[in-house]
Amino acid sequence: MLRIEGLSAGYSSKPVLNGVSINVEAGQFVAIVGPNGAGKTTLFKTISGILRPSAGRITFGDIDLLAVPPARRPHLGIAHVPEGRQVFPSLTVMENLEMGAMTEAGQRGWKQNIERIFEWLPVLAERRGQFAGTLSGGQQQMLAIGRGLASSPKLLMLDEPSMGLAPSTADFIFEQLIQIRRQSGLTILLVEQRVAEALETADHGYVLEAGRVVLEGNNETLRADDRVRKAYLGM
Amino acid sequence: MEGFLQALAAGLLIGAVYGLMCVGLGLIFGVMRVINFAHGDFMMLGMYTAFYLFTTFGIQAVFGNAIGPFVAILLAGPLLALFGYLVHLALISRVSGTRTALLEGEGHYAQLILTLGIALILQNGGLIIFGSVLASIRTPLSSSAWELGPFFDISVFINKARGIDAIASLLILALLTLLMTRSRIGKSLRAAADNPTAATYMGIDVDRAHRIAFALGSGITAIAGGLLATNYPFHPFVGLEYVIVMYAGVVLGGMGSIIGAFWGGMTIGLVQQMSTLMLPTQLQNAAIFVVFLLIIFFRPQGFFGRMVERT
Repeated sequence: MLRIEGLSAGYSSKPVLNGVSINVEAGQFVAIVGPNGAGKTTLFKTISGILRPSAGRITFGDIDLLAVPPARRPHLGIAHVPEGRQVFPSLTVMENLEMGAMTEAGQRGWKQNIERIFEWLPVLAERRGQFAGTLSGGQQQMLAIGRGLASSPKLLMLDEPSMGLAPSTADFIFEQLIQIRRQSGLTILLVEQRVAEALETADHGYVLEAGRVVLEGNNETLRADDRVRKAYLGM
Repeated sequence: MEGFLQALAAGLLIGAVYGLMCVGLGLIFGVMRVINFAHGDFMMLGMYTAFYLFTTFGIQAVFGNAIGPFVAILLAGPLLALFGYLVHLALISRVSGTRTALLEGEGHYAQLILTLGIALILQNGGLIIFGSVLASIRTPLSSSAWELGPFFDISVFINKARGIDAIASLLILALLTLLMTRSRIGKSLRAAADNPTAATYMGIDVDRAHRIAFALGSGITAIAGGLLATNYPFHPFVGLEYVIVMYAGVVLGGMGSIIGAFWGGMTIGLVQQMSTLMLPTQLQNAAIFVVFLLIIFFRPQGFFGRMVERT
């Protein structure tokens, strides 16, 4: 579904990504793990079009994604739940969800989507009239995920959904992601620093270090790998 | 007492129009974070557009002297909105919005120079085309009044033209508020203002959102200008006198808040009129800025401003 080949990108001539290739098949849950500064967020920004790559190709289905303007990409079915949540603080929870549904598919599926989102993330239903800026960090993260789901995406990209959250809240979010995936069959691409949870949840994983893919495999291979065990799982 | 009530009424009426004028600028600043120095000159163009629509393009003949000016003023709004749309498309969008990532200081230096340049061209172009003679959009309503009261033997006189100006301002503000809170396009403008990057992730074309905000803001201020012109004569350099008031209003209201900009403008109108009770008229503007500084001293974020910066 999403195929990234030999992607290099960075900020004003300082390269962050160096020939990264990643493949996400329809229905897969793929995790990209790695330390701070490995280029995970840069990779997502390049997929969303906020950054232009210096080399490489990204195809989504049969579409050459790099030829599509950034604001059109969500309409193809790519939902980006960004690092640090980035909800719209002066909009209400409901209005934030409506912004997620700016895509054509999101408008058509609005009624059905909103019901399911409220089922998965009930706190959003309770707080629908509240300004997003007044929510707690965990609630904002749930809103950011709900907002992504409201677009009826084919691919949901999650950038560090556990960042800055209490462990129990992060656990809840991971559980809900597993449930969302099981019930909707959604394709998910996750970037995460909590390597153990990420590899446990995903069926395929990539380890990104200093802008390169150093390791890839299905979740068992990765979790059995000595380097992963030593560097990330503390075993 | 009578003088006080009369000044209060005059302040509220002029304040409503100032409020609308500030809302136009506040919308542009709030959504785009662009400082538009030419905004007063857009208003000047709105005044002349209303003037020529009324006198030369037959509105006077069709609607008469009393209602005609207001029809012309309302029509000037969409025309200036179109003008704003084109100015953004051709010039402003080159140094703002998604292109600023590549520019020094997020494009703010280029924006300052560009909008100052547009201001100079409009002022001097206006001088060539419209001439330096004072113009005004007078209606018979400008020189007649409604009598309110008497309350305890005191009657307040409301200039009819100013009364209609204030009502028209409030109606347009209500329409804009509905647009911003109820419509998809209004909500997407607010989202683009809150966080342009996240708005792009939602599939909102931020540059288009900016263009709509710039057009709307230009049209709204043009209408406010036309309404002011029913009582105050104008000339091609009139924008300079108002643009400072506009920025004071936007800052008072809290940068980025649309309803705040209205109350900022209202405050300025009230201070300006009430100051005439105690001070000579030449000190009106000085009084505005003394009060402005006092408010900013005690509440630097403005009436409706958020202390937290947007993410």
